[in-house]
Amino acid sequence: MKIFGAEQERTLSSLYGAEAADVYSALLRSLSAVLEEEVAPLSLALDEGKEEISRPRRVLFDQGLCRLPHPAEFGGMDVPFGVYALAMELAGAADASTAMSLGIHNTVAEAVSRFGTPEQRKRLLPALLSGKKLAAFALTEPTSGSDARSMHTTAAREGRHYVIEGSKMFITNAGEADLYLIFAATGDGHGAFLVDGTNPGLKVGKALKEKLGMRASHTAEVRLAKCRVTEDSLLGKEGAGFEEAKQLLDSSRIVMGMICVGIARAAYADALAYAKGRDLFGKKLSDMQLTREKVANAAMETNASRLLCMHAARLKEVGKPYSSEAAQGKVLATESAARTCDAAIQLLGGYGYTSDDVHRHWRDARLLTIGEGASEVLRLLIASQELERER
Amino acid sequence: MNIVVLVKSAVDEAELKADQSGHPVLKGASMKMSAFDMNGVEEAVKLKEQNGGTVIVLTLGGAEAKKAIKEAMAMGGTKAVHVLAEAADAPDSLGTAYCLAQAIKRIGPVDLVVSSEGASDTYQGEVGAMVAEFLELPFIAYAKKVETDGVKVRCEQGIRGTVRVLEASLPAVVSVVSEANVPRYPTLLQVMVAGKKAIEDIPIASLKGSDYPDTGTVVFDVTVQSASRKGIIFDGTPDEAARKLAGALKQEGVL
Repeated sequence: MKIFGAEQERTLSSLYGAEAADVYSALLRSLSAVLEEEVAPLSLALDEGKEEISRPRRVLFDQGLCRLPHPAEFGGMDVPFGVYALAMELAGAADASTAMSLGIHNTVAEAVSRFGTPEQRKRLLPALLSGKKLAAFALTEPTSGSDARSMHTTAAREGRHYVIEGSKMFITNAGEADLYLIFAATGDGHGAFLVDGTNPGLKVGKALKEKLGMRASHTAEVRLAKCRVTEDSLLGKEGAGFEEAKQLLDSSRIVMGMICVGIARAAYADALAYAKGRDLFGKKLSDMQLTREKVANAAMETNASRLLCMHAARLKEVGKPYSSEAAQGKVLATESAARTCDAAIQLLGGYGYTSDDVHRHWRDARLLTIGEGASEVLRLLIASQELERER
Repeated sequence: MNIVVLVKSAVDEAELKADQSGHPVLKGASMKMSAFDMNGVEEAVKLKEQNGGTVIVLTLGGAEAKKAIKEAMAMGGTKAVHVLAEAADAPDSLGTAYCLAQAIKRIGPVDLVVSSEGASDTYQGEVGAMVAEFLELPFIAYAKKVETDGVKVRCEQGIRGTVRVLEASLPAVVSVVSEANVPRYPTLLQVMVAGKKAIEDIPIASLKGSDYPDTGTVVFDVTVQSASRKGIIFDGTPDEAARKLAGALKQEGVL
């Protein structure tokens, strides 16, 4: 599968103009060569647990994927967020687990970049962008996912320290991460805390191995018991942690949507190749009208998802509100990716049902209608913002 | 040492499509640095890293060739020279070699010229040797290993299981095969920086002297050759599937 092609080049050109698109196309073309040669060939083995995610993740850290949207003064590349989002589509097409691990990691880097003090940015960003440190984003709890505001984890001030108590659930990169961004209730709202992975008060639970998809990424519970951190571990303002989390999730939803666009493309490419070669009733499977309906739907939904996510990314770049558009893009991209992957299984028939190499795309996509904002909650968010606009 | 590496902008064969008549659809086709030239660039950059100096990326082509130049620069080129020749003025291999040789003379003292074994679109493999002839320099073809001490170049050629070692005094021209190295992937930061580096343009007309070899090569036809696959899947246990596969191969006369 050609991971970066004319479709993405046209998207860049229409959004950024020909001159800038040339530069960004060169970046993404170069990235796609690495993804095709070094990451995509590992994807099946990653899903089957025969390869460790640290290998492809290291390749992409070394390439500079996580540097793209961040400030140059901290080792970033100052590239527009939409170009980074397109890069994550390509990463998703190569291997969804690796892309998600890096996407979550980079959400923490964005948190430090946006809400950190100059000292926190200087201390943490170079290590996060180069991949010297891996990060995890810990908001969800065993009893609060969609209703994150009602979190039970607390951070109590004790002199020049905070003591964090509680538990976080379904945490991507848990156990591997060097740095955890922990959200906790404080007296007057919520706070976001940067907790070192070696903190004796932070324990990682048993890895959740029986996942449907995204099997290569590490997922576990993170328990915090008398987890003592210095006051300069607070990221942003005390009391504003939940608002910060919401802003970070808006951004992350664009990335997760784009990863799903990549997953859908990978499944669609496999199915299309099969349909073109499979003979039945004296013609090719791709000549059947009902196959063509599936092909047309996949193309429409994949392109629409990419454009809606990129629209949200452009709004973010120019400083306009994009919360609803990011949610719309994420819902459309994740739900349509599941449909496209399902159609791919259907086209491949028995081979689709029995081969990890085909159904893993559906299994991977399936997570993202739940994680980073379940579709149901995002629809409520979209609707409330639409109703607000109509007042 | 000053190394010139020759690169060509070629059609991206992975995206090349044929029309109904079997002819390649070249209009609007995606272009990139010829795949074999990545080995040439890698070898040149490696020699620069070992010996110090510069790698000058040299190409001949239309505006679309800038993309290939930037790819080569991202891999470690220090300077780029582009002989501008739009499709209507594009010369054949001999004319190309003549113009590249003239451009090398303009660049100044050069210790080594590196080319690849051929272009990924036409695979004629002539230009490196022809450039050497125009520059009246020694030429070593199809090197799978290149070493230099700044005075001479020592190359290994692989020929039917044996290795032939050749040496030439510098300056010289060397073509490398794809086994010579594994081209590096530039980081995204290197790609970004390369995109901003200046490229020296030389109009092709300014290089053509009275001795320009106008051979007038005529291309009569270009067609896309495609190999069709049967796509047979042998089911059963690995042992059964292997037996079925062996049987089918015998039937085809392969075994």
